Amino acid sequence: MRKFKDIKYLPLRPKGSTFDKRVTMMDWFLFAFMLVYGLIIIYPFYNAFLISISPNNVFNEFLLYPKHVTWHNYNIVFHKATLWGGLRVTLVLLFVGTAYQLFFTVITGYALSRNKWLGKNFVMNMILVTMFFGGGLIPYMQLISKLGLYDNFLVMIIPGAIDTYNMLLMRNYFASLPPDLEESAKIDGANDVQIFFKVYLPMSLPMLATIGLFFAVGNWNSWYNAMLFIKKEEYYPLQYVLQQLIQETASNVDGMAQKDAVSEGFKMASVFFTIVPMMCFYPFLQRFFVKGLVVGAIKG
Amino acid sequence: MNKRLIINNNRLFNDFGAKVNRSKYLILMIIPAIIFYIVFCYLPMCGILIAFENYFPKKGIFGSSFADHHGFGNFYKIFHDDEFWTVLRNTVIIGVSKLLISFVAAILMALIINEIRLRFFKKTFQTIVTFPHFLSWVIVAGLVFNIFGANGVVTKSINTTLTQDKDFFLVILYGSDIWKEAGWSSIIYLATMAGISPELYEAADIDGATRLQKIWHITLPAIKPTAILLLILSMGGILSAGFDQVFNLYTKPVYEVADILDTYIYRTTLKTGARPGIGAAVGLFKSVVSFILVIMVDRIAKLCGERGII
Repeated sequence: MRKFKDIKYLPLRPKGSTFDKRVTMMDWFLFAFMLVYGLIIIYPFYNAFLISISPNNVFNEFLLYPKHVTWHNYNIVFHKATLWGGLRVTLVLLFVGTAYQLFFTVITGYALSRNKWLGKNFVMNMILVTMFFGGGLIPYMQLISKLGLYDNFLVMIIPGAIDTYNMLLMRNYFASLPPDLEESAKIDGANDVQIFFKVYLPMSLPMLATIGLFFAVGNWNSWYNAMLFIKKEEYYPLQYVLQQLIQETASNVDGMAQKDAVSEGFKMASVFFTIVPMMCFYPFLQRFFVKGLVVGAIKG
Repeated sequence: MNKRLIINNNRLFNDFGAKVNRSKYLILMIIPAIIFYIVFCYLPMCGILIAFENYFPKKGIFGSSFADHHGFGNFYKIFHDDEFWTVLRNTVIIGVSKLLISFVAAILMALIINEIRLRFFKKTFQTIVTFPHFLSWVIVAGLVFNIFGANGVVTKSINTTLTQDKDFFLVILYGSDIWKEAGWSSIIYLATMAGISPELYEAADIDGATRLQKIWHITLPAIKPTAILLLILSMGGILSAGFDQVFNLYTKPVYEVADILDTYIYRTTLKTGARPGIGAAVGLFKSVVSFILVIMVDRIAKLCGERGII
């Protein structure tokens, strides 16, 4: 027999329905999963943090809380010239590179989003082919040398001008805006460049911010180009400096013989040096990232 | 009559000019892109010639002599090289498993996040699981080494370095891939799920469906087109298998199971500067196979009645 108070809710909230507020087995399972998986995500960061604040000889135990706290490693990090140099390079890439990529990606996306113009289909196909076929690394390497970009700071910026995927995202976004705006601006005597800068660009600032953030993250994390093409140490971006630090001892077969020249603690303190800016900005920027992905998904 | 004909002729003659004139600003805007794609995508495609040559950087592409076996000498060499076949086998194993594992993980993650009913938990959980996507593999590798590496937490308790263990390395590879990307890849499915009409769920409620039944009969079919599209798109990347990840995580003892085409090219030709022809041949092999894969999967998807990409 059902009790009276159950009957009151029954017609509106059948068991298992969206409006059923009762906590079921499934909710407990989800809760447990969230807890466990959340800890799996967080633990490596916590572990790294513990290592970075431990003295150099106690880093390899499983610890829930630090036994001895020392800020020595952070002290070294803040006085390490290579890291600051790397940060400087990365910041240049972050600002100059992002602006450069954004400009070319967006104007290309706009031009391809407009209705018929001479040669549009040709250009479009030409670009799409590159998404599925490429020459490979060795010819690219030769090209970079021939262009005089080898060991040149610009090699980390110039080849990134247009990111095809984000360009198509931008194109789809522009194509989704009402075409009447363009027509009325045309009647007022504006040309395409003016229409782009004065009508469409101001309307698409949120989308621009999203794509700009993707580029910014890419630039912050870039090390691959530096590894391939940069030999001068003063041009190493932060991530590449870090990569070399980490790889230095990764291939060390018996971990015991490791010299403390680059201690684990120092490495992890440097890792935090790069993660912390990301951690600070990430919660605020998250919705932009999500939005960009969603626009790409639904229109693409 | 005559006059009209002449005017028409002129118009025909000037049609091209008029079209150029009408679209001159758009053409102006596209010129940088054309230059960019020609220089950075099409010129390297011409560089494919290197794969058929005994290439010497000093002699240049057109100065170097063709390889033996009618220019196919480099391919002849790599196909008779056991190391190449090992590397190719690793690449296919890693590429296919990672593709499937991350595909399933993303969908499961999306289903789980979608089922969490308290908004606060949902948002917080999503924020946490998405974050690792924004770190580079350099950093993730550092974090992995802290736990499984030579001085790692786990290493001390079981006395084996798991990142240098041939049997376990692939597990680390897949695990770290899920750790880093599952949360992020689930977003796209979550967006699709948000678009499912609530009426479907209400109707299912009235029919007395359980939550699992609703997932199976409503949510999963709704995300199917997105899932297939993403699967096709990622198919082209099978032979890439994630250079960044492998390169940062692997160490000499596991080369035998972890070396993939890209790392092989990097290690044997780029880093040493030797045998560019061989490297280019391996690269060309990879490009061609990837291209064929994309086309094939697209055709299959279309045969099965799904929307393709090409």
